Amino acid sequence: MKPPFPIEIDGKVIQVTEGQTVLEVCQANGIDIPVMCHFEGLPDVGACRLCLVELKGVPKLLPACTLRVAPNQVINTQTEKIKKYRKMIVEALFCERDHVCAICVANGNCELQDLAKKVGVDHMRFPDILQPLELDASHPYFVIDHNRCIMCTRCVRVCAEVEGAHNFDIKNRSYKVRIISDFNQPWGESKTCTSCGKCVAVCPVGALWSKSSYQGKIEKKKEAICDLIRKRKVNV
Amino acid sequence: MSREDLKQMAQRIQDDKKKYAYTIFACNASGCIPSGSEAVFEALKNCVKDRKLEDQVRVVSCGCMGICAQGPIVRVDPDQSIYQKVTVENAHRIIDEHIIGKTPVKDMLLFSHEKEPLINSFEETFFKKQKRVVLRNCGRIDPQSIDDYIAEGGYQALEKVLKRMGPEEVIAEVKHSRLRGRGGAGYPTGLKWEVVYKYVSDKKFVVCNADEGDPGAFMDRSVIEGDPHRVLEGMIIAAYAVGAQKGYVYIRGEYATAIKPLETAIKQAKKNGFLGETIMGTTFKFDIEIRIGAGAFVCGEQTALIASIEGRRGTPRPRPPYPAEKGLWGYPTLINNVETFANISAIIVHGGEWFCETGTTKSTGTKVFSLAGKVKNTGLIEVPMGISLREIVYDIGGGILDDREFKAAQTGGPSGGCISKEYLDRPVDYESLVELGSIMGSGGLIVMDDTSDMVDVARFFMEFCMDESCGKCVPCRVGTKQMFDLLNKIYIGRGTMADLKVLEELAIFVKEASLCGLGMSAPNPLLSSLRFFKEDFLQHIQRNEKVVKPLI
Ligand SMILES: Cc1cc2nc3c(=O)[nH]c(=O)nc-3n(C[C@H](O)[C@H](O)[C@H](O)COP(=O)(O)O)c2cc1C
Repeated sequence: MKPPFPIEIDGKVIQVTEGQTVLEVCQANGIDIPVMCHFEGLPDVGACRLCLVELKGVPKLLPACTLRVAPNQVINTQTEKIKKYRKMIVEALFCERDHVCAICVANGNCELQDLAKKVGVDHMRFPDILQPLELDASHPYFVIDHNRCIMCTRCVRVCAEVEGAHNFDIKNRSYKVRIISDFNQPWGESKTCTSCGKCVAVCPVGALWSKSSYQGKIEKKKEAICDLIRKRKVNV
Repeated sequence: MSREDLKQMAQRIQDDKKKYAYTIFACNASGCIPSGSEAVFEALKNCVKDRKLEDQVRVVSCGCMGICAQGPIVRVDPDQSIYQKVTVENAHRIIDEHIIGKTPVKDMLLFSHEKEPLINSFEETFFKKQKRVVLRNCGRIDPQSIDDYIAEGGYQALEKVLKRMGPEEVIAEVKHSRLRGRGGAGYPTGLKWEVVYKYVSDKKFVVCNADEGDPGAFMDRSVIEGDPHRVLEGMIIAAYAVGAQKGYVYIRGEYATAIKPLETAIKQAKKNGFLGETIMGTTFKFDIEIRIGAGAFVCGEQTALIASIEGRRGTPRPRPPYPAEKGLWGYPTLINNVETFANISAIIVHGGEWFCETGTTKSTGTKVFSLAGKVKNTGLIEVPMGISLREIVYDIGGGILDDREFKAAQTGGPSGGCISKEYLDRPVDYESLVELGSIMGSGGLIVMDDTSDMVDVARFFMEFCMDESCGKCVPCRVGTKQMFDLLNKIYIGRGTMADLKVLEELAIFVKEASLCGLGMSAPNPLLSSLRFFKEDFLQHIQRNEKVVKPLI
């Protein structure tokens, strides 16, 4: 066990150990940092930018999920600037695709919806960049609706890293990025998908759902996936 | 191989060349090829053969001489006469009149912007304010010949480093030169080398970044096309200094004319013992491989470049950890730009002190720019740091086309900004450009005249950034599209003052919240246009408000 050392977060001195991320430390100490692409146990990518924090001495904002603790760090997680950007990120996600809660299976069970409430997004201040996208229901059990996808890539990572199937990947660049199945084939024709449903479980929004679910009755067994990953790690 | 061997070899090659009374250099770089230089080269060669002059005249296909606007360019040495716009039809006149008849072909000589076409008068305008360090051999040697490079003193720096300097001394010398990365950000090169050197690891890598994705930039391409061994030598020295065994040149697939000479150069370097297992008879080993990119701008970003070399999707990842600590396959990796590496051999041979003599205190040495846009002499130039924009535009560039009014100079491509007339006399160095809301960038320099609409310019660069955004992080993916849509709306005359405010808010957001340098700098062209050319935006908006007002 490595010896703990202190760092300062939001004015509080906290004992940490090498290897921890700032996000882990915050979550363990009741400091609330919103996350979206982060999922416990999956490799972090720092993509959604919701967990940005200020590190003293560094001019740019850094994502807490990939920032490792180091001696003498002084971190601020709740400055006005950060709060403003968190809100803007949620707004940006709402502007990007078709997030109409009233007609979404995940209504009431959606991390994006929760976030909007939390950071206080109640209308869109920025121009939307909506583009009608396809919905793929070719899989016998699951559906992927690209109109609701926020490109957090949790499904890509859980499929590749936990299930080991690597059915999902990403195509295109810019706002045209899309989740694809195998070589951009209909999901139902995938040769790699094992129909395990982990992707559906980790999806934070209503982009992936099982055909047996309907609005208000979507089941997302996130904790089960976390548990699985935790247990595997112990075995390793 | 010892120093004496190398010097003797250089001497022998030089002596060999003395048998030629004339050498004809025909530019065959990417600037001249589109105007038919390959056929001109063939025509010159055939003509020499026809006239049975092969023993006296050497015809060389060479790299860029700089004056791309006048291509195809042909130079005749030792007279140093430069011919412009040579065609297959008139190429023979150079042989018949200049070489056989001993009188330069006056009407084909490159003229300065004076009345009389004169031999070398172009030197007075285009070349006078330039200083060639990186481009020293460019257009003066055969890039496909390692002998030519050795004859010009090539690989002597490597010999010095391997035989008489320790890695720490090499790093000290580079630090002393205060060379800064030429890839854009200007990070001190010596410092970067030291960081990589200090990490203990059984494997380390050196990567040369030749992705060059900025629209309008062709510096790195020209350096590789014209003098590939200089870049290799810089990389080998860097590998020795940081303790790397393997190197990669990451070059974009579109650069076929650069990839070929680079491949040849690597083969030649291996054959001559400058690369491989026992480099120059020492125990130092190093190998270089080429990795070809698919032309994504974002793959020029260090972490995306690493992902691409590893065979993954080219998207950046958050730093730290920096590539110097965890780079290719998790090993310490040194990434430098082509031009940065191309400066190394000169620093080793002449010393860091000598390098500092050029440029300003904080920005030493020279910088290669690709001068494009509405200037008379577009082309490839190398100038001392600290030179003023005015000198570049009016002295080297020969002024604005059709003698119109200068409006703006765009540096740094999609990550840079537009500089207005008032700042023409500011020195061109890293700090001054940042102060003006632009960046040095990798060296694209686009000059615009009074017909340019800055809203359109901002829109163009925003569209580029939007298309090239990798789509990984939310601010860049969504923000660049939103900004582009707003700019488009303003451009077509539908914008309002409220749009302008939203635009500014989005720009700051994308700049501060994005993951990598692409998003962090994507708003720069917009922000700098707003700063210096707000008038242009207001004009577009007022055009709209005139239409809209009666309706309210
Ligand atoms: C979007 C983006 C594109 C880039 N493209 C290039 C490039 O084409 N060539 C290059 O040398 N550096 C490029 N860079 C800079 C590199 O990330 C890196 O800083 C540079 O290669 C380091 O070398 P240097 O220290 O010698 O400048 C780019 C950076 C960003 C953010």
